[in-house]
Amino acid sequence: MSETKDIVRTEEKHVEKTRELRSAVPVVDIYENDDEFLLCVDMPGVLKEDISVNIDNGTLFLSGVRHLERKGVYNWEEFSDLEYVRRFSVPQAIDTDKVRAELKDGVLNLHLPKSEAARPKMIKIKAA
Amino acid sequence: MFTRMNDFDRMFEAMGLLRNRMDRIFNEFDRSFAYTPGLNLDAGTPRTNLIDNADSFEVRAEVPGVSKDDLEIKIQGNYLEISGKRVLSTPEGYKVHRNERGSSTFSRSFTLPADVDADKVEANLKDGILYLILPKSEAAKPKQIAIN
Repeated sequence: MSETKDIVRTEEKHVEKTRELRSAVPVVDIYENDDEFLLCVDMPGVLKEDISVNIDNGTLFLSGVRHLERKGVYNWEEFSDLEYVRRFSVPQAIDTDKVRAELKDGVLNLHLPKSEAARPKMIKIKAA
Repeated sequence: MFTRMNDFDRMFEAMGLLRNRMDRIFNEFDRSFAYTPGLNLDAGTPRTNLIDNADSFEVRAEVPGVSKDDLEIKIQGNYLEISGKRVLSTPEGYKVHRNERGSSTFSRSFTLPADVDADKVEANLKDGILYLILPKSEAAKPKQIAIN
């Protein structure tokens, strides 16, 4: 009886935990023309340093973390810090070196240029 | 009889465990889905925060993709109204694959907990969030009372 055992197993003791970051799926518009795909993603409050775009093996992984300054007393709070996460399947024919992104008014515009091989080509018909 | 009661107990205990598990599942489920991102289009209102900084209020509103010319802020006493519109158009020469964001008009009004000084209100639009600093009117500011 001298042995004392915890009834509930604690995973880790005395681990300092920061507030868990909520994740959300941002809304997007997807456009395409002959040269590129264009993704427009709503990410209000996310700074450009906190956005990461990874393209790996046909999957585009988009993540943006929002950190809002926190001071004062909140009378109500309908939005807070969170992480926008979304995954897209992209065709292999994307020229990953030329991917370009710009952030304006909380909207991320992601340009994914198609590689040369995937672009439509006009074939001229020669008169025989 | 007692042994039987024990059996019941044990059964309920197991059910309780299961219930706990189920409760937790739904909590986690809520966390990932209850939060709709972007403008709250169904309600036609942007999400807001109201912060009380003792001598001023701060209102923050999520307005991604809204330019400052399309926003309108009205203040009267302790009544605040934020309205605006978001205009989105398909870029020239592109075809649409998916359209989740949308053009919309929105309007939201609040009754602030105290009167504000409408002349000193500051509004900033940064990264798709509108920051409004509304200094409280003199009468509504907190005062330090000296004890004699």
